[in-house]
Amino acid sequence: MTPVPGYEGVLAGMAVAIPLAAGALILVTPKRFAEAWSYLAAAGAVTCVAMLLGPVLDGARPELQVLRLVPGLALAIRVDALGLTFGLLASGLWVITTVYSSGYARADHMKNRPRYFASFAASVGAAIGVAFAGNLLTFFLFYEALTLATYPLVVHKETEKAFAAGRRYLLFALGSGLALLTAIAWTWSLTGSLDFTPGGFLHAVASPGTRTALFVLFLLGVSVKSAVMPLHAWLPAAMVAPTPVSALLHAVAVVKAGVFGVMRVMAFVFGPASLEGLAAQQGLVAMAAATIVVGSLIAVRQDNLKRRLAYSTVVHLSFIVLGAALVAPLGLIGSMIHMVNHGLAKITLFFCAGAIYATTHLENVSDLRGLGRRMPWTFGAFAVASLGLVGIPGLSGFVGKFFLSRGAVEAGDMVALGIMLGASLFTATYLLPIVQIAFFPGPPAPGATERHAGVGEARPALLLPLLATAALVVVFGSVPMVIGVQYDLAAAVAALVFGGAR
Amino acid sequence: MTSSSLPIVLYAVPFLAALLVAVVGWYVRGSARVIAVSAMAMTATLAAAVLARVMTEGTLYTPLGGWPPPLGIALVVDRLGALMVVLVSGVASLTVTGSLRHVSQELPGRETPYYSCVLLVTAGLIGIAVTGDLFNLFVHLEVASLAAYALVAAGGRGAPRAAMAYLIIGSAGASLYLLGVGFLYAATGTLNMADEARLVATADPRLVMVGTLLIVAGLGVKMALFPLHAWMPAAYQLAPAAAASFMAPLVTKVSAYALIRVLFWVHGEALLRTGGALEILAWAGAAAIVAGGALALVEADLRRMLAYSSIGQVGVVMLGVGLANTAGMTGAVLHIASDALVKGVLFLAAGIALLRFGVSRVDDLNRLRGRAPWTGAAITVAGLSLVGVPPLAGFFGKWYVLSGALQEGRWMFVAALVLGGLASIGYVFRILERLYFAPAPEHSPPGEGSWLAVGACLVLAAGIVLLGVANESVVSTLVLPALPEVGP
Repeated sequence: MTPVPGYEGVLAGMAVAIPLAAGALILVTPKRFAEAWSYLAAAGAVTCVAMLLGPVLDGARPELQVLRLVPGLALAIRVDALGLTFGLLASGLWVITTVYSSGYARADHMKNRPRYFASFAASVGAAIGVAFAGNLLTFFLFYEALTLATYPLVVHKETEKAFAAGRRYLLFALGSGLALLTAIAWTWSLTGSLDFTPGGFLHAVASPGTRTALFVLFLLGVSVKSAVMPLHAWLPAAMVAPTPVSALLHAVAVVKAGVFGVMRVMAFVFGPASLEGLAAQQGLVAMAAATIVVGSLIAVRQDNLKRRLAYSTVVHLSFIVLGAALVAPLGLIGSMIHMVNHGLAKITLFFCAGAIYATTHLENVSDLRGLGRRMPWTFGAFAVASLGLVGIPGLSGFVGKFFLSRGAVEAGDMVALGIMLGASLFTATYLLPIVQIAFFPGPPAPGATERHAGVGEARPALLLPLLATAALVVVFGSVPMVIGVQYDLAAAVAALVFGGAR
Repeated sequence: MTSSSLPIVLYAVPFLAALLVAVVGWYVRGSARVIAVSAMAMTATLAAAVLARVMTEGTLYTPLGGWPPPLGIALVVDRLGALMVVLVSGVASLTVTGSLRHVSQELPGRETPYYSCVLLVTAGLIGIAVTGDLFNLFVHLEVASLAAYALVAAGGRGAPRAAMAYLIIGSAGASLYLLGVGFLYAATGTLNMADEARLVATADPRLVMVGTLLIVAGLGVKMALFPLHAWMPAAYQLAPAAAASFMAPLVTKVSAYALIRVLFWVHGEALLRTGGALEILAWAGAAAIVAGGALALVEADLRRMLAYSSIGQVGVVMLGVGLANTAGMTGAVLHIASDALVKGVLFLAAGIALLRFGVSRVDDLNRLRGRAPWTGAAITVAGLSLVGVPPLAGFFGKWYVLSGALQEGRWMFVAALVLGGLASIGYVFRILERLYFAPAPEHSPPGEGSWLAVGACLVLAAGIVLLGVANESVVSTLVLPALPEVGP
């Protein structure tokens, strides 16, 4: 029954195991090796994932069964185009974030570094595990592991505020995990199968009523990490974590594990056949749309830079959820592309916020007046990423939003189209003013100049990563080959899910 | 069925060792612990041998004194019984070995009676697991309980009072059980479980029903099934740390096993379905899950919190039993095993916290931060298992019971499990937050507890991981064949 794993399967297993092992090693070896292990593991993991790109583009689905969990169900790893996309995103950006983390830890005089780097490595391992999970139980296992591994990072500063945020995070994330577990156990007792199947496997066995209840439970399970309102409240609170954590985990790995889960559930558990005529699907569309509108309005009013970015994340995550919820091929393609491209832009923005904080200890937008002249590269990157999120053609955000809009047209949902286009433009109103006041401060405000006195550009270990991700924002929006590969991966998924390949 | 004297030896070793300790211990200083630990190790080895024989040769059958039932008493060890004796002797050996230093610290000069009682409890618990006779089960239950009362009474301030309450409530429970057995005897004229099982179908159903309900109530007291749990939190909070870490993992779990044994081997599923006993058990289990979790959540004292947690976990077991389908029963058996391991770790660690760091309140656990990394690691594993994080052992018990509830479409029970899960997240992370993130005071002691205690914690924690990782094999080779015939 268990096929002999090919070498690609082993590679996939290693991509998950290397970061997890690094996490353990960091804890048991002397402190000074923490960063070295992180670099090694990040390089190892991204190499393993990248080597899977060729085979997966050729249509292979590398598999590895590690151990049996319950009779008839194993801890299974299976890499498809959707999982690989997320895996590449998480592992690739981890490399850059590790450089940034080292710089940030020095600039911020961070304590408990082994715990920080170990949790970081374990989080990335768990995120890759989520990406490569071959069935729902394996998905659940890594999804919970991701929650647990990120908890120490949320409470890292050990202040009362951090503890409160940590408790809220656990309550939301593990609580929703219970809903997910219930949904999975129910699916198991209904179908006797939990394997992700393109196009879903529920339509034959479950009545519409049961499917609706299951849909609600599943979505409760994955909507917390994807921060769909009203389950988003943990995310702004979690901004108390050190900025590299906000950058990689709360803009990319954790929250994208949530939207990835939405896509998995929508396309590989339910599938178009099960969702047809299900009112709950319309409900999800409405919730995502509402989140986009409300989140945008809240974002504008935030003065704390990281909180403003967090609400921007809430908005853009719901773009991705909306794309998957439309149940249209182009919507799914758009979701997959935007999952990556939003990640690139948002991590850049957080890197910039962290560089500003580590250099000046300023964290409010209103304090940044005129700072652009002292930190031109940082704010330059901020401008590029902001424009990218707004959706200027030639930058990464445009590609995903283009397909998302086409998906809305394909699904015939003009309201969703309108909301997406409107919210894209609205992104400009809460991101671009930051660039504007940084570079064009107008008449000097009292006290501002002293605050910025003697401030220069951020240190290289902070600056280089954010320039690198800003460059990626450009590359993913303008280099045809990159966009082509990304599109091929997404189109392969959409073809399997919606095509007759079932 | 194979005839074998192995079960007698298995029972006799701890029982005779208890007497030996009591005699020799008075004369030779320090001999009590040596005899106790050797006897424990021997018992564990014998238990493993029993399991191996049962796996290869099937159920072991021992007519005591050569008298065949119904005249004599028979010991019957099937796979489930063998699983239980391995669990009891293994966890008992580890917790007793792990708390050697705790005993000499807490009970100086009183080691002889302590170890004598510990061995008596062990013998009683093993007796419960191997007997095939309803009255004999009562005797073993009382052997274990009387010694347990004494162990609780050995604690410090307030312990005698808690022991008295335990004694009164426990004796009431035992009496209820005995009364129930009396009703069954009146109905069928036999005490042997196998005979009873044959005769019960034709007996007076009213007598059988009353007897069953009395047995459920009696054993419910012994396993601290909500709302019959009142003796338990104070007993485990105030007992000597060593005694708590030995008793808490096992006493309630073995009583739960005894109930499974009586319900499914004596009565059979068909009869139970008509009686309402299963429904009562399931609801009591669900209530225990919620109430135990909620009480643990607000409890300030560490060991009392763990006791409330045990009440919740016994609830999970009884919910699985009450559902009476294969998934539910599998979950019940697995959860007995996993919670025995988990509570073994946590009560031992609580002993370390108390005796090494002077910590009895959850909020003071920050004194261990950075000073006891291995104890902390064991606590983390056990705690995450309690929350139900896969692939640790605790996940699977909950998974099967949850699947069982879903198969029956019992949404209230699903909701109870979810609420219990939420509560366990709350109280476990209250511990972990203090242990890893709250600032440590300057003046706490520098190092780990005794290496025996820490080692025992780590071995038990490894058991939690192993039982989780190898769960599929455990279920398909040990648990599923050991289950009684129940519905799908």
